[in-house]
Amino acid sequence: MARMKFLCDSDRCIECNGCVTACKNEHETPWGISRRRVVTLGDGLPGEKSVSVACMHCSDAPCMAVCPTDCFYRTDEGVVLHDKDQCIGCGYCFYACPFGAPQFPQTGNFGMRGKMDKCTFCAGGPEKDGSAEEKKKYGNNRLAEGKLPLCAEMCSTKALLAGDADVISEIFRERALHRGKGGELWGWKQAYGKDGAPVAKAVKEEKK
Amino acid sequence: MNMHAAKAQASSRGLPGGALVNKAVACLIALTVSASVASVALAADAPAAAPAAPATALATPMATATAPAHNATPFWREVRKTDQGITTIKGAETGTLVQMEGNAWRHLRNGPVTLWGGLLLLAMTVTVLGFHAWKGQLRLSSPATGKRVTRFTAGERVVHNTVAGSFVLLALGGLLLLFGKHLLVPVLGHTLVAFMLQILKPVHNFLGLVFVVALLIMIVMWAKDNLWAAADAEWIGRAGGLLDRSHVPSWRFNFGEKTWFWFGVTILGLTVSVSGLLLDFPAILELRAKLQIANLVHGIGALLMMFLALGHIYMGTIGVEGALEAMKTGDVDETWAREHHELWYQQVSGKGK
Repeated sequence: MARMKFLCDSDRCIECNGCVTACKNEHETPWGISRRRVVTLGDGLPGEKSVSVACMHCSDAPCMAVCPTDCFYRTDEGVVLHDKDQCIGCGYCFYACPFGAPQFPQTGNFGMRGKMDKCTFCAGGPEKDGSAEEKKKYGNNRLAEGKLPLCAEMCSTKALLAGDADVISEIFRERALHRGKGGELWGWKQAYGKDGAPVAKAVKEEKK
Repeated sequence: MNMHAAKAQASSRGLPGGALVNKAVACLIALTVSASVASVALAADAPAAAPAAPATALATPMATATAPAHNATPFWREVRKTDQGITTIKGAETGTLVQMEGNAWRHLRNGPVTLWGGLLLLAMTVTVLGFHAWKGQLRLSSPATGKRVTRFTAGERVVHNTVAGSFVLLALGGLLLLFGKHLLVPVLGHTLVAFMLQILKPVHNFLGLVFVVALLIMIVMWAKDNLWAAADAEWIGRAGGLLDRSHVPSWRFNFGEKTWFWFGVTILGLTVSVSGLLLDFPAILELRAKLQIANLVHGIGALLMMFLALGHIYMGTIGVEGALEAMKTGDVDETWAREHHELWYQQVSGKGK
């Protein structure tokens, strides 16, 4: 069984926010809810990097661990989903999540947050696949239709990859190989190269 | 990016799930993509250094004029603890890529707070019931006279019972939030427990205000009668007469009641009130790290308060004959007053020894 994962190649992400828009449009998320966001580090500085981030569908999901109603579950494909009917809007998943994935439609006082909403890896919820209720609560279930998450499918630079962990990590590994950097620990060679042009040299070596 | 890769790899290697974040971060370092621009910048910083030198050159991560090297340990350390990123998505902390405090909060809450909090409440329940089975109810040693002495005015009873009633409901909601998943879900199922919490959570959040107001009135109302008195020393020396069932003279409140008043009601009550109000209005704290601390303070304070409250509720109901009556009707029998609060009885009745 495939283990679904997201992977964002920050050497390719151009901060176009296409993934964010694609997600919002596909799932018609409520006003103020964005299941995905692009964070830019070192903005405006040489070497700035952007990362598209959403629910990471953790193996040991903190949201699942702290939920008082135990409303989270993991599919056979490793996708972390939740049952909105059992969500009480306590916000604990939001406290625990390192990635800021859980979102709430309201910001009212007295804990009036509404039901939590997060990235479903385009896999819907506990309702029948493709049903109207599922779509209303969780958005489209693309996985059930044999399609991968739209954010990654729409990514113009193919920075954002979504799919079986083995497949996408192999794609990433090949990219790193061609670039001659990434996928290894920092070291003298990666930093300086022999002639000061490490990337060009690595590519040249690769072609031989 | 890199954390994604780290996680993908971690899962494909079948690593166990525990301490996932830490593991992911460790893998990050191994898998991170280096930025060629930053490499050049670093080369300029330490051109003639020995192979070990780049590590030290990387020690200044975020504050440099150029963006940091992306596969550097210090860089990811910064990413994990600051919100230096920018994003078009509006909201608190949306620029934070990874917040690490959530992991500590999760492990404290799911670990010691749940375990020790649960054991504490269980221990107190067992102690109280065991004590009752051993000693039985503390009864009056002389017959009741039928003459009543006013112990609590109507106002005092309304305030006390408002605090008490709201406390019980608040405690139920809190207990269900912390233990429901472990104790009730296996018995009642997810749907029913979720239904109960869907009702108790808003009740908890709004009723808290009632509790806070009534608690403040109660503290002001009874503070004077709970001040230290010379008679309290004797009460302590004789352990309140709990074990030998003797009558220890005390004023309106004995030292046991005073202990509950200052530690349970005042200190812990105000602790849960302040932390609870902050959680009710999350905009005040805004940051997740602060909300997590407020949540822990609230939970630990509430568990300790429940721990002491179990003792107080026992003494006020089945532990002492006539105690519940005092809070229900407002008055007690003369014999009760003389046997439990002799100094107070002399004061209110004007009768000497």
